[in-house]
Amino acid sequence: MINDKRYYLDTFRVTEDDLRSLAAEGLRSGGDFCDLFFENTSYRDILLRDGEVSSGGFHIDYGVGIRVLCGEKTGYAYSESTDPASMRAAARAAAAITAGCAVGGDRRTSDHRHFGRPNPAADRYPMQMDWRTADISAHLPLLQKLESLIRSKDTRVVKVIAMLSSQVSDILMFNSFEEMKYDTRPMGSLVASVVFSQEGAVETKSVSRSFRMGAEMLTDALLEELASQAVEGIDERFAARRPKGGKMPVVMGAGASGILLHEAMGHAFEADFNRKGQSIFSDKMGSRICRKGITIVDDGTIRGNRGAVNFDDEGVPGQYTVMVEDGVLTSYLHDRISAKFYGVAPTGNGRRESFRYNPIPRMRATYMESGEGTAADIIASVKKGIFVDQFANGQVKIGEGDFTFYVKSGFLIEDGRLTMPVKDVNIIGNGPQALADIEAVADDLKIDNGTWTCGKEQSVPVSCGIPTVLVNNLTVGGE
Amino acid sequence: MMDYRLTDQEIALAGKCLERALAKGAQKARVTLNKSCMDLIGTLNGEVDKVTHCLDRSISIALFVDGKYGSFSINKLEDNALEDFIDKALDTARLLAEDPCRDLPAPGRTAKDAGKGTELGLFDAASLDMDAGKRLDIALGASIFKTTEATSAWVLVSEEAEYSDSVFDTLVMDTQGLCCRHTESSFEYGVEMTVKDTEGNKFSGYWWNSTPRLAELGAERICAVALERAVAQIGPQTLPSGKYRCVIDSECASRLVTPLLSALGGYALQQNNSFLLDTLGKKVFNEGMTIMDACRRPGESGSRLFDSEGVATRERAIIENGVVKEYFINTYMAAKMQMDPTVEDAIRPMVMPWPRKGLDRTSILSMCGEGILVTGFNGGNSNSATGDYSFGIEGFAFKDGKITRPVREMLMTGNLVTLWNGLMAAGDDARPCKSKLIPTLAFENVDFSGE
Repeated sequence: MINDKRYYLDTFRVTEDDLRSLAAEGLRSGGDFCDLFFENTSYRDILLRDGEVSSGGFHIDYGVGIRVLCGEKTGYAYSESTDPASMRAAARAAAAITAGCAVGGDRRTSDHRHFGRPNPAADRYPMQMDWRTADISAHLPLLQKLESLIRSKDTRVVKVIAMLSSQVSDILMFNSFEEMKYDTRPMGSLVASVVFSQEGAVETKSVSRSFRMGAEMLTDALLEELASQAVEGIDERFAARRPKGGKMPVVMGAGASGILLHEAMGHAFEADFNRKGQSIFSDKMGSRICRKGITIVDDGTIRGNRGAVNFDDEGVPGQYTVMVEDGVLTSYLHDRISAKFYGVAPTGNGRRESFRYNPIPRMRATYMESGEGTAADIIASVKKGIFVDQFANGQVKIGEGDFTFYVKSGFLIEDGRLTMPVKDVNIIGNGPQALADIEAVADDLKIDNGTWTCGKEQSVPVSCGIPTVLVNNLTVGGE
Repeated sequence: MMDYRLTDQEIALAGKCLERALAKGAQKARVTLNKSCMDLIGTLNGEVDKVTHCLDRSISIALFVDGKYGSFSINKLEDNALEDFIDKALDTARLLAEDPCRDLPAPGRTAKDAGKGTELGLFDAASLDMDAGKRLDIALGASIFKTTEATSAWVLVSEEAEYSDSVFDTLVMDTQGLCCRHTESSFEYGVEMTVKDTEGNKFSGYWWNSTPRLAELGAERICAVALERAVAQIGPQTLPSGKYRCVIDSECASRLVTPLLSALGGYALQQNNSFLLDTLGKKVFNEGMTIMDACRRPGESGSRLFDSEGVATRERAIIENGVVKEYFINTYMAAKMQMDPTVEDAIRPMVMPWPRKGLDRTSILSMCGEGILVTGFNGGNSNSATGDYSFGIEGFAFKDGKITRPVREMLMTGNLVTLWNGLMAAGDDARPCKSKLIPTLAFENVDFSGE
């Protein structure tokens, strides 16, 4: 949602002259660039446990982060008050980075500028029902309805925890180029954690949906979709076994398998790791890193998506960034610092958890474009391997490129057919090798709308997606 | 000299919040006032790369009104804003369903020995004397990037380090007279070294230290350890899948303890989402497994006299000789589960040495002879309901008690109860800077997946 400029200036009790003065204060003793990030976030949650929505609350977070850049060096400080004295003190603390640092001279003029005003018509997250003023009492029955739906679909359900959380952040950004950006960022998340019991055995499943939308996202269709997913595949979960471990072909199902891209490639494409020479991809720009026909993007433009941004947290417009085009590495993910280093335009990936953090290159919605095969043909092509489609978490070692992701459930593939259900296995591989080992890509790209949160130094909301793909030679944990 | 500990004025605000809540209809309330300050200097390759100054204050309030409960927080600590905040919080709590299990802890359970915040001796006045010059001296003085020469086997690609000092001050008050405070300083230095071998492969090593007392930081030794850890990984191989003896380095061994402690928590037990359900008082693990909560040790980082409800912590056995001795049951879960309350979590768990005191990694490797030494985990997870786990690992193969070569792209998979029943040894070498005091561990017959 984008309100008018006056709304944001009033929210933070500042004038445009105050902003100019504060940015100038940050650069008073040197430095190339200063930016201000004002945030007023209201977070609310309600929780259903044991059939009752008996706990909930709200949390308010308010402040301004001030950054001073001196070349690639960062000074950062924040204030939880926007009174002039507190903000000036923060600006001076951030300016400490300029000690012994020359003023940038012509470095100032090399940066790309984004003077355009925020355009409500191009808003990627319009909010029809503002969570801050929505009637919380109207949301209580929704959680109870969700629980009823889940229980009605499977008699083995013994416990349900359901949580609705929402967050709305008013953001105002200003920098020493006199660019001013502002928007209001909603986020609604609905999560259900279900415990099933069958003949003494216990299984759990957690499902979620998260969107940059207002309370209008809470539809009957969403509840039905979530409830259905919560009980889907439970028979297989009870029947599942650990597979025999070792290297084998892995078919990644469409959707949540996008965690492969996030962990194995996305982080290594973040330009800060490359600028510092730490990434395994730091000398691969322009090189072929996977077979022709494979295109991998990071997209901040999907309306209502958890990773959508009108602007990143440096005021750079959200973009659709092609990282790998037809198998060739074409772009890293840049913030302003790395863009300056590489002499390219920022890609709108400078993101931060809150005003307490300086922005760094982060992913948004990362996915692979559809290929030309079909999921059925890909599965049929595997003599012995594993099919995976539900995940818990992942991790990567940037320098080595070794990544892992944890599979909640999937199937063995034997002679081209899905056979024994499997669960609770970790899969490990190496990013460049896994990319090179992608054998086939189906035509069924799906973006997963779960509550994905990336934890690189700071937590930021992201999403991921992928069509069905076949990766040869990943190591699967097993007995 | 800046003192960022709680002021009398801020403490008075917490009292006003409780008064406001009662005046507006709450029957009971608890306020937690947090204040922290951190200064950080990041360096890249021996040069200052980042300077950060952080000052945070927030008030959280738990409200018990008309049989209902809600929890709320705000970081605008101004009288008018707080009054409006509490009024709205009460309105919100009243919309929720009643929950008779919600209550403050009985006054007899709360800590009475934490009124000043400094009782545990975890605040170093040196934190008040820190300035930009002293921080720079530590951050830059610890760097070895410019003095490290390449060898025929590797070159140093990057050295990325952070020095920080901070002060945390927490006050918990409730309407039954509770008033507990914990004040702690922290000095921390951590560094990641990345090296490149002759084939262009990169390897990174991380090392760090954290201590409440500046004099114990020892930043000048840390880069060398991180570099040694990075270089040691050059030339890794993936071993064949199979069962191996497994030694877990103390640096990463808490990964195998955390899921056990979570499974002993009231929230997991009450939801039937725990593989240690109905195990209280039963022998579940190997005779040699004892975990104590060493939570009240003066001067030792991580010690606490009270939990987040203000309940007094106790030094006691969590698991003793394989027998589960304690669940973590807070006031709410005690009422829901009709059990006696304990504390809400393990505060400072410590795995006790076994089969004898004084073992370290070297002696445990000798004891085990041949197997895989795990020095780090790369992702993975465990199933809270079954205890099944699967972790990515990095480390080394060892034979005759000596490290032979690094291993990579391997996974360790099994069940936590089975794993701990295969415990062969627990060392006496837990790092005091860690929140969980877990020493080097050795296990028999662990499944590893590789080639």
